[in-house]
Parts: sequence; C-alpha cells; structure tokens
Amino acid sequence: MDNVMDGMLEPYLFETNGLLDSLDEMLVRDEKVGDFSADDVNEIFRIMHTIKGSSAMMQFTPISTAAHRVEDLFFFIRDKGIEYLDAEDKKDLFDLMFKSEDFLRSEVSKVENGEPLSDNVDEFTTRVSRFLDKISADEAKNEAAAGAASSAQSAPQQAGSAQPAGNAQQTVGAGTASAGQTAPTVPADPTAAVFIHLFLENGLQMENLRAFMIVTALKDAGLEFRYYPADMDANPETAKDIVQNGFWLAFDSLDLCNNAETVIKSQPHVRSYEIVDQPAQGAPAPAVASPEARGAAQPASAPSGAASSAPSASAATGSAPASAPATPAAASPRTAPSGPQHAAAPAAHSAVPVKQSLISVNLGKLDDLMNLVGEIVITESMVTSSPVLRQLPQESYDTFNKSARQLRKLTNDLQDIAMSLRMVPISGVFQKMNRIVRDMKNKLNKDVRLTIIGEETEVDKTIVDSIQDPIMHIVRNSMDHGIEETAAERTAKGKDPQGEIVLSAQHTSSEVVISVKDDGYGMDPQKLLDKAESKGILTKPRSEYSKKEALGLILLPGFSTNKEVTEYSGRGVGMDVVKKNVESVGGAVFIESEYGKGTTITLKIPLTLAIVDGMKVTVGDSIFTIPIANIRQSFKISSSDIVQDENGSEMIERMGTYYPVVRLSEYFHIPGKISTVEDGILIWVEANDKSCCLLADDLIGEQQVVVKPLPAYFNNFSLKNRGISGCTILGDGNISIILDVLGIYNTAAENA
Amino acid sequence: MNEQELEEKKKMAFSGAEEDDQTAVEVPETMERCLVFESGGLIMFMSTEYVIEIINDHSVTKLPVVPDYVAGILNLRGQILPVVDIRLLMGKPAAEYDSKTCIIVLNIDSVPIGIIVDTVRQVMDIDTAKIQPVPLRNRQKLTNGMLDMGNGVTAMSFDCGALIGSQ
Repeated sequence: MDNVMDGMLEPYLFETNGLLDSLDEMLVRDEKVGDFSADDVNEIFRIMHTIKGSSAMMQFTPISTAAHRVEDLFFFIRDKGIEYLDAEDKKDLFDLMFKSEDFLRSEVSKVENGEPLSDNVDEFTTRVSRFLDKISADEAKNEAAAGAASSAQSAPQQAGSAQPAGNAQQTVGAGTASAGQTAPTVPADPTAAVFIHLFLENGLQMENLRAFMIVTALKDAGLEFRYYPADMDANPETAKDIVQNGFWLAFDSLDLCNNAETVIKSQPHVRSYEIVDQPAQGAPAPAVASPEARGAAQPASAPSGAASSAPSASAATGSAPASAPATPAAASPRTAPSGPQHAAAPAAHSAVPVKQSLISVNLGKLDDLMNLVGEIVITESMVTSSPVLRQLPQESYDTFNKSARQLRKLTNDLQDIAMSLRMVPISGVFQKMNRIVRDMKNKLNKDVRLTIIGEETEVDKTIVDSIQDPIMHIVRNSMDHGIEETAAERTAKGKDPQGEIVLSAQHTSSEVVISVKDDGYGMDPQKLLDKAESKGILTKPRSEYSKKEALGLILLPGFSTNKEVTEYSGRGVGMDVVKKNVESVGGAVFIESEYGKGTTITLKIPLTLAIVDGMKVTVGDSIFTIPIANIRQSFKISSSDIVQDENGSEMIERMGTYYPVVRLSEYFHIPGKISTVEDGILIWVEANDKSCCLLADDLIGEQQVVVKPLPAYFNNFSLKNRGISGCTILGDGNISIILDVLGIYNTAAENA
Repeated sequence: MNEQELEEKKKMAFSGAEEDDQTAVEVPETMERCLVFESGGLIMFMSTEYVIEIINDHSVTKLPVVPDYVAGILNLRGQILPVVDIRLLMGKPAAEYDSKTCIIVLNIDSVPIGIIVDTVRQVMDIDTAKIQPVPLRNRQKLTNGMLDMGNGVTAMSFDCGALIGSQ
C-alpha cells in the first residue's frame, strides 16, 4: 500500500468503526422491539454502501465484497418493505446481521493490526445469499399465489400479460399471433420503439437482483421504460434466464433509449448490451399501433391504446385498454409491490445524515494541548510568585497583582476547557454491553435484561478505553456465573424469572463510580474460602478472613470458581485482570455480594488522570506529592506513640486500629533531615482499603499538579508497584515525584 | 556553563567538523558525523543522528527505588527525560560532577534519554568502515566497536541501542 493509502487508512478505520458501532447500536435496539424500522433499514443499507465503497477504494476486497452482499440484501428488503418479512425471517435476519457485523469487525481489526485479510469470504457471502434466496423465494411463492388468484378472475387477460412478464421463451398457452412471432427473442411489448438487450458479467450470482439494480438506477435517472423479465426482482428463478439470455429494457422512444444508454455505461457488471429495434415481423395490428404510440408519447397514449384495441383482438394488446396510459407490464399484479418500491427510493435519498457540528481530533493533539495548558498553568504561577516582584514599588506591584489575578482566572478557564475536551460519555462502552448480553442470552439460554443507568456520565477518554475490558469481563461473569441457570430456579427462590443486570455510572466529586449489579446466585464466602484453600492462595488462617476479605479473593490471580472453562469466562485470568486494569488508571474494585440475592461489583475510577490535587511533602532534599484523595489525616506524634513488633517494624494506633508506619526516608533510602519522629510529620494514607502512615520531614502545602507519566525507559522497573506513580513539574521547574500509596503499602507493609 | 556558552561550544565543535569534511570527500558513503566524548576514562563516539542537544544542567531529580546508574529524571522544557550515568552503567566508580560534566540528550528510536558523560570533546566525521569489532566478545555493555583515531588514541563506538536495552 502506498503512502497516499496510508494517510487515508486512519480516517477509513475511524469511519468504518464508527459505522459498525452505530450499526451495532441500531441492531440491538431494533432486536429488542423485534423489528427493523424503515429508517433503520435505509440506514443499514447506507452504512453497508459506505463501507463497501470505502473498502473498495482502500482495496480491502473481502470487506468490500461482504458489505456488498449485505447491501444487496438490504436493497431487497428496502425495496419490499420490512413488513414483507415474517417474524421467523426477521429473527434470522437479526442473527445474520450480527454475524455480518462481527465478520466486518474482525476484518477491520485485521486491517488495524496489519494482518492479512481473510481471502475467503465465500462462506459468509453464501450465507447472506442463501438468506436472500430464501426470502425472495418466499416472495415468488406469494406472487404466484396472488397471480393465480387474480388470473382466476380474468383468465384470458392474465394469460396474455403474464407472458412477457414471466419469460419470453415460455410461450405459455396464450397462443396469440403476436406472442408466437416475437417470443423467442424480443419480449412482446407493442408500444416499445426500441429495446436494449443487456448481458451481465459471468459468475456474479443473484443476477436478477443485479439486473434489477440497473433497472432502479435507470428509474432514478427519471427514465420511462419497461423491463423483462418483469418479475426479476422477486423471482430468483429469473437469474438463470438472465445469465443465458440477458434481459430486456423496452423504451418508447429512441431519445429515452439514448439517455438510458449513458446510464447503462456507468453501471457495474454489464458485460455487453445491444440496441434492438422493435421487430418488423410483429403482428400487423400492434406494429401499426406502436408508431402511433411512439409519436404520441406517454401522456397521449390513451388514444393509442384505444386505437390498438379496436383493430386487434389479440390477447397481448387486449391488456392495453385495461390500463390505458400504463405499460403492459404495469397491468400485471406486480404493480402492487412496485408501488412501495418507488416510494422507498426517494426515502433513501432523504436519509442523508444530519450534519453535526462535531469534529474528530487525534487524541495525541489533545494530549499536546493538555500538556501545554499544564505548562502555562505552571509558568503562570512561576511568574506571579517570582521574588523579583517584591522589588517593584508598591503601586506597580498592586497593578501587577490585579493583572495576575485576571490571568489566573483565564488560565483556570483554559484548563477547565482543555480538560473537558477529553471527556467523553461512557455510553459507548455501555452500549457494547447490550450486545454482549444479547449474544450470551442466546448462547446460554438465560432470560436476562440489561438496565443501563447514567450512560451520559462523562469520563476521560483514556479511562474509557481502559475500563471497557474490565466492564465487559464483569458483565460476562454476571451472565455466566451470576444469573441462575434456569428461570425455574429463579421462580423457586421467589425472584422474577427474568434476570436483571444493572449497569450504572455516576459522578462523585473526584471519581466515577461504575457498578455492575446482578440479582443472581450471589457469592458464598465459605465456598470462596474452600476454593482459595484448595488453590493454596490463602495467606492467613481461614478463620481470620472477614466476609469482605473472602470476597476479595476472587480478585487474586489464578482464582476461578467455575470448574469448566466456557467461551465467555472461567479461564482463571478474569477478575485479577480487571483489578489490574482498573488499578492502572488509578481506580479500585469493590465487591459486595449477598448469598442467594446477587452481586454488585463497583469500580471507582478517578475522573481524570491528568490533574491531581496533591499534598507536597519533603523528605531530605526531595519533594514528593501525595494525592489528596489518599490522605486521611496528618498529625504530629511523639516517639512513645510508636509500637514495635519483634522485628522492630513500627506501628501506630489510630482510632482503635493499628497501622504500619513507613518512614519515607528509609523506604526510599534518602538521607532525611529529621533526627526524631517528633520533628517529622505522620501522614495517614489509605488506598483501596489498605491503610498506613507515612513519615515525612515536613508538609509544604497543597497544590493542583499536572501528572506526567514517567519516561517509558522506566517501564521495566515497575515503579508503580514500588510506590511511584508519576511525576509533576513544580512552579520552579523542579520535578516532584508522585507517590502511589498502594504501591508503598504493598512493598513496605505486606512484603517486608 | 550557561546555554550561550554551550551553543558556542557546539558551534566550535561543528566548525571543527567542517574542516574534517573537506579532507574526507573521497569516501562519503561510509562517513558519519559523530560526537566524541569521554566517560570513565574512555573516549567514545556516537552518530550525531541521535544527539538532540548537550546541556550542562545538573538539576537532575533523583528517582528512588531504581538502580544506581539511573541518575534520575530531568525536566527539559516540560518533557521528562530519564538520565543515565553511563560511568556507573559501565561499572566504573562514580565521579563528582564538575563544570565539564555534560548531559547529552539523545533520541534513540524516538525514546528520549539523557546520558551523563565526563566531558564532550568535538564533532567529527568518522569513516564507519574503519570501525573494528571489539576482540573481547560479550563483555561490553555499551560499546560495539573501536576505532584508531591516530596519535595512539583509540575511541570506542557507543552502542545507543544497548543503552535503551540496558534497563
């Protein structure tokens, strides 16, 4: 792929993924109702059309082919109206569409990962074709039935008009003069002046629909004509005939024919076409009548119909007076289905998306902007707190301060706006869960409804990306293990036979709280302990585990209570990965469960990673920042308050509980400036239910800091686990290291 | 040393290189412009491709809980860089930082990193074809070749890739 294509790849992926997302949303929504709305059918058609086009442009043939096939399918459905499908078909269609979406998604993700695309899409396309054949065969049956019914009423007329419609080669039983003479090649169309005989490319499949698409294209171009076989859109049997004998378009004037020719030239899949004049050997009466019709043109065809009907007693022309201005084909029962067809075409054009005043921006640029704003905030405080200002005369100093306040206000606003740019609603993640619940519901045969609350909650983009997998995992677990196997089991417990999973999100002052709640089995702490014991992952005597701790066991690596590994969960890598992912964005996981009633898993995640309220503390020459969210208290102590265990590890009692004391200078091997604990200050910190006290030299003060990640060079040192989560640049340009309370606790208090 | 001085030093070094340039027109394909510096008693050189700038700022923030050879992190106009003392990385005793000590800011495969060196000598063109492999195998952490610079001076080729892999 050349460079031009590379540049287009990103927009392509963005657009295609966006389209697939909206497709997914639409399918899940529609499936709930059990029906496609007409708008959605148009929309799906449009989506497939766009994907087909852009994929073809990018030369991703498999994607393009697959999308094309689905587009064909929806072209048909759009044409017929969705009501045309019965409930069974609709159900199949939903399944098929979800399969299609998955297929397209997997292919697109291959493009994303630079993997080769699957070169065999036949399996997929035949599936779609089979469905299309099935529904169009249904229609042919219906048509046949309708035809039979009406022909019973007016047998002779129907026999005549059915003939050009059905198949020119079948001479039917009409036995009329005109039919006998014109049947083998040119369809019987007495008013037509000229025909175009088209052949499609070989090996296309569904030739009848391809032909019909050309017909539609011509109609869209505003041309008046008839086409044979007239039931090509409804009867898949005609496909064979079209392959062998091509198909015919009949025009009343040469001009129309010439216009049509230009349209045909732009159509795909046309192998060849020829323009054929109305055969001279036609029945004398129609032959006379047709020039008249040609001259009189369409609106004036009423007299021509009358004229032709008068001298001729043939069945073929007999249909003309029945529908004076219309074409012979139009006199057939097929006018009924072709009505909505015309209505559908303009509707599709009106389904142009409403232009929104949104733009998509590379996240990298937003990060740059965020960084810049952070720098400005820091520089501003550098300037306004510069000691040089003290030398100004009082009056100028006051003026300066006034302007400085103004500047501060502006920079604060700027910061707020820059922050809000990165905020996206969490609905994208939640909507995906709809799909997961839907798939699993069918697979596991459980009746579950997913209730979503607060999907408009906004979260930092990077956080949204990193919590999608954890949420998905939890939802899967709830579906698989949480909800009871059968509805009977639920009713026996006095629960609603339909299970419920509630997915909710809400803001607190500095956090987003996301919870997944199910009303299923719930977890039995004793069972969890049994399991953990057998796996040998208990770290203290079993009797000492509180309920909360027992529930927390499921977050440990290698813990999976399900004996069988299913497609969805139970690989033993579940919840510990959830915990790891959530902690990587500074969040925490909480589990509540009532045995027999259900389980709630709550994720608490900081609103944004970019800015943190921090407390600056000194240890020796270094300045560390502790996130305020982690601090419970800070206080002075005397050395007699410290209790030691047999190893000399220090602890302190606060509010009736003992907490380990971590001297930061010892922990970080930095020479501290204090000689006794009385000189220092103790900061009581807590993270994720773990609590300890840190001894620092002094508190400097509180400050909002812009968090910078540590350079990638340090990735292998796992600094976070050892108590360092990032750094920030202070007003004077120095760097302060941001402490990770959980990391310190784990290293100092648990593994000491 | 302030930044102006540094710039001058850099300029001087580059002008020196230009002279070398004129003498070495015959074999331009294998010629590479290199920065020559000293650390732990060794003379080393690396392609200027990697070098972003040379600073003389010692305000490196120490990072606890990392190995000794990581001197810490540095705020370079808002970008946080890791700084490695290659003296320590090579297992040589630490030296007091003085006015000659420099931090060379490198960009190796788009990983920015600073290295502390004893002193920066000059920029010169080096014929990479003349670099010989080090005969002692598998013993060098940071060098991957040696070159006779004339006057009995031998310089070692600094292996930037190994520096990134050294963590």
